[in-house]
Amino acid sequence: MAGTNIIEVRNLCKNFGNLQVLNDISADFKEKQVVSIIGPSGGGKSTFLRCLNLLETPTSGKIIFDGVDLCSKIDINEQRQKIGMVFQHFNLFNNMNVMKNLTVAPMRIKGMDKEEAEEKAIGFLKRMGLEDKVDSYPSQLSGGQKQRIAIVRSLMMEPSVMLFDEPTSALDPEMIGEVLDVIKQLAKEGMTMLIVTHEMRFAREVSNRILFLDGGKIDEDRPAAEFFDDPHSPRLISFLQKVL
Amino acid sequence: MGFFEQIIVIIDRYSIYFLDGVKNTLIIAALSVVLGAVFGTLMAIMRMCRIRPLRWIATAYIEFVRGTPLMVQLMFIFYGLPMVGITFPDVSWIPNFSRFMAGVVAMSINSCAYVAEVIRSGIQAVDEGQMEAARSIGFKYGESMRLVILPQAIRNILPALGNEFVTVIKESSIVSVIGISDLMYGTNGVIALTYRSLPCLAIAACIYFILTFISSRLIALLEKRMRHGRN
Repeated sequence: MAGTNIIEVRNLCKNFGNLQVLNDISADFKEKQVVSIIGPSGGGKSTFLRCLNLLETPTSGKIIFDGVDLCSKIDINEQRQKIGMVFQHFNLFNNMNVMKNLTVAPMRIKGMDKEEAEEKAIGFLKRMGLEDKVDSYPSQLSGGQKQRIAIVRSLMMEPSVMLFDEPTSALDPEMIGEVLDVIKQLAKEGMTMLIVTHEMRFAREVSNRILFLDGGKIDEDRPAAEFFDDPHSPRLISFLQKVL
Repeated sequence: MGFFEQIIVIIDRYSIYFLDGVKNTLIIAALSVVLGAVFGTLMAIMRMCRIRPLRWIATAYIEFVRGTPLMVQLMFIFYGLPMVGITFPDVSWIPNFSRFMAGVVAMSINSCAYVAEVIRSGIQAVDEGQMEAARSIGFKYGESMRLVILPQAIRNILPALGNEFVTVIKESSIVSVIGISDLMYGTNGVIALTYRSLPCLAIAACIYFILTFISSRLIALLEKRMRHGRN
């Protein structure tokens, strides 16, 4: 895939106390690429993703987003607006209804006026079939609905890349499909995405490229099709045997 | 004369002592809670801030005040401070102002420590993911606090703050030992005049109960209104 690098990770290390979670990771992510990150629990997948928007501060190394070194003295809030993030536990703002959840950031941060923001929100909600939920509070929604709203909340900021941190891990099985469908749709529309997931079939179907992260290192980095059919690393082979 | 008749007679003759006491008790409690809440909020902010020395000071203050008796703190301020030259000024048109101030200051210092803990635990009880979501979308720390965390924390804090108010009403009875004419002081006065301690104390207990019961009902009502439309 041709295209410019949107994220460049250079020699990224992250320690929690004495525990080294990420060990010298370097990788490039291109525009419009959909990359899945899989691996065993505790392998550093989520930490890696959370380093990319500096929710975790790297111990050493560089994250270059769209030409900007995020670890240097820049306004990180400004960069974060362009990096959407979707969490395992949704993290919708519990004190706001759906409409407020979607419009608060565009209005407060981007200075979008209320009507424009609401119109945009309604547009997204209609596409998801959730327009009847505008006035609901997060506690009144199902997990699948919350996660789709959380995705819309990120999209409202028109990010140039979206990070998904195990978006379906906290969902009941019958709700996983509706969330994955939304992500697939985004992939089709050319959104750049990094997805930490345990859904192997989905990873294979949606992504161009898959990383296997184990022991804080990238153990395998291949195009999606080859990844499952022709794995090289012995760790990956034994991992795939267990999960497939 | 039976017990209840005694009560009626005492109320009839000495109600002014009790009412005057209630007034002072309420003034002291209200001032202490307001001052305690204001300084408790500041203390909670210090306790959670990134500047280590401030955090240490706040933690030490909170631990020390919560770990020593209110009686000692009150005595310390009323008898102790004047010995090192710190006195509360007298105000001519308010009788016993310096005495009164010592009581309010001691109660506020005490309440402040408890309020700080109430606020801190209320904020920390909000799910961490809320802050992460707000920061990841591009809000600054302060905005995230104001828009997302504090509105949720308030709902944890308010009930506990209400309990603190009820506690302060009860605990304020201790200021009678430094001669502030609160409800307990008035009650002792009536006992000295009538030699009827049991009915007098029963009256005082009932009045304290009415005060705390009304307060806790009002707070419960406020909570209910705040929860309206949520959950």
